[in-house]
Amino acid sequence: MKLKKYLTLTKAGIMESLQFRLGTFVMAVGNLLYLIVVYYLWKAIYASSGSETVNGMTFSDTLIYLVLATALFNFMEMYTVWEMGRGIQSGKIVLELLKPMEYRNYLFWTYSGQFVTNFFFTFLPTFIVVAVVTHGAIHLGLNLLFFVISVIIAISLNYSINFIVGTICVYTESIWGINIMKQVIVLLLSGATIPLAFFPETLRRITYYLPFQSIYNAPLSILLNASPEPKEIITTIGTQLIWCIAMLIISKLFWKVSLRQITVNGG
Amino acid sequence: MEKRGLKFYLRIYFKILAQDLKSKMSYRADFIISTIGMIFTNIAGFVSFWILFRSFPSINGWGYYEMLFLYGFSLVAITPVQCLFDNNWSLRMAVYSGDFIKYCFRPINIFFYYQSEVFDIKGLGQLAFGIGTLIYSWVKIGLGFTPLILLKMTVFLLTASLVMIAMQNAAAATCFWIMNSFYVLDLVTRFKDYAKYPVTIFSPVFKFIFTFLMPIAFIAYYPSLVILRPDEVPLLSWLSPFIGAFFFWVSYKIWMHGALKYNGTGS
Repeated sequence: MKLKKYLTLTKAGIMESLQFRLGTFVMAVGNLLYLIVVYYLWKAIYASSGSETVNGMTFSDTLIYLVLATALFNFMEMYTVWEMGRGIQSGKIVLELLKPMEYRNYLFWTYSGQFVTNFFFTFLPTFIVVAVVTHGAIHLGLNLLFFVISVIIAISLNYSINFIVGTICVYTESIWGINIMKQVIVLLLSGATIPLAFFPETLRRITYYLPFQSIYNAPLSILLNASPEPKEIITTIGTQLIWCIAMLIISKLFWKVSLRQITVNGG
Repeated sequence: MEKRGLKFYLRIYFKILAQDLKSKMSYRADFIISTIGMIFTNIAGFVSFWILFRSFPSINGWGYYEMLFLYGFSLVAITPVQCLFDNNWSLRMAVYSGDFIKYCFRPINIFFYYQSEVFDIKGLGQLAFGIGTLIYSWVKIGLGFTPLILLKMTVFLLTASLVMIAMQNAAAATCFWIMNSFYVLDLVTRFKDYAKYPVTIFSPVFKFIFTFLMPIAFIAYYPSLVILRPDEVPLLSWLSPFIGAFFFWVSYKIWMHGALKYNGTGS
């Protein structure tokens, strides 16, 4: 059974993450504070703008977008770059390379347990609270199904990008610098900090040609669009799929080439 | 025994510092990449600021350049914590592994010795960026330039940075009592991103919280009122130097309390 060995890793991951309850609690407090700041900041912005909609988004649209972007970020963020970088520096990676499973898959599935716990403990509660607080501004219909599909593709794409950046650590011996660059670029250009609708025209057009908007902007725009045209959904998910496959191939090839470069001192 | 004045501590400080810089220089690639990463973070912060506020003439009575001033002020105010107190990030590991016991045997103030060990040069880029932003907004607002205003600026910048240092010290010191204190430190570090917004955008309850319980309003808002709105400076602004010093003193006491009761791990 191929799936069974992966699910064992998932189970171990769930048990591991349940051990760190205090960390989860502090993180929840931190997110709450972030959401409070975001709420008041955008409230002030909308109050000063003097109109109900800014760049085609109402206050509750913007709020849902940003809150769920944060929830998605907490749900999808994997710290892959740190894991790989540390593994390469300490030499621990050798033990993982020897496992009867491809390293790329192994790393993903050891994390999958956290997806499960994060989903139930952060994403779902946030989603429900937002849906209740905004009085049904989230349309609950077929768009939920497309949203789920879109998020699954986004997870895979996000992982591939992380894996590519992590592979760079084989060459650089720098983790913090590489990781911060990735994080900054992804968060800004994916619309996770500011909705892409607020970007100036040219900058927005550029972001649509980059893979990052497929991570956060694509699923969220699908969710917020109550009456989408089938063409729109196909374009959005199609774009996501193309990037997902492209990054998957690149990350696999890049890792294959880089694997020959790894020098482990001791370990 | 030599008298331990400021001169004594300064001499020791630079001796320890030189060792740290030497060891950093042996990882040159890491240093360069981390510096680039830091510059990336600042540019992205600036770009998101620009995207957010470019289309609005004012937020809650604060003009674009005044907001920019707050942003620059907060960047400069968090530089000391970044440069001089970066070793707080390693405290958790040192306490956990037992390495911390070595500091307890030095015939010198533990807090001083521990913080002297690391100087983070990356922070200097941020300082330059912050000063640039400050000067730019200063000129655009037309604040004028006198020795008195420069003196005020220096005093209030220094005290603002004390608040941030205090919060980080206290957060780092939690590791003497709880495991996994990384999350606490991470949470406090995220606070600094909220310092750049005027505290008036919050509701009274959160205004109180951000002023007295989590004093982020003292990192930029209250001190810069002295420069930006010299006609209507609230009492809290004038008190901010004392509040900064008070918070720092409290955090130092907490830190030392934890350090002095440290028993080591027996290894």
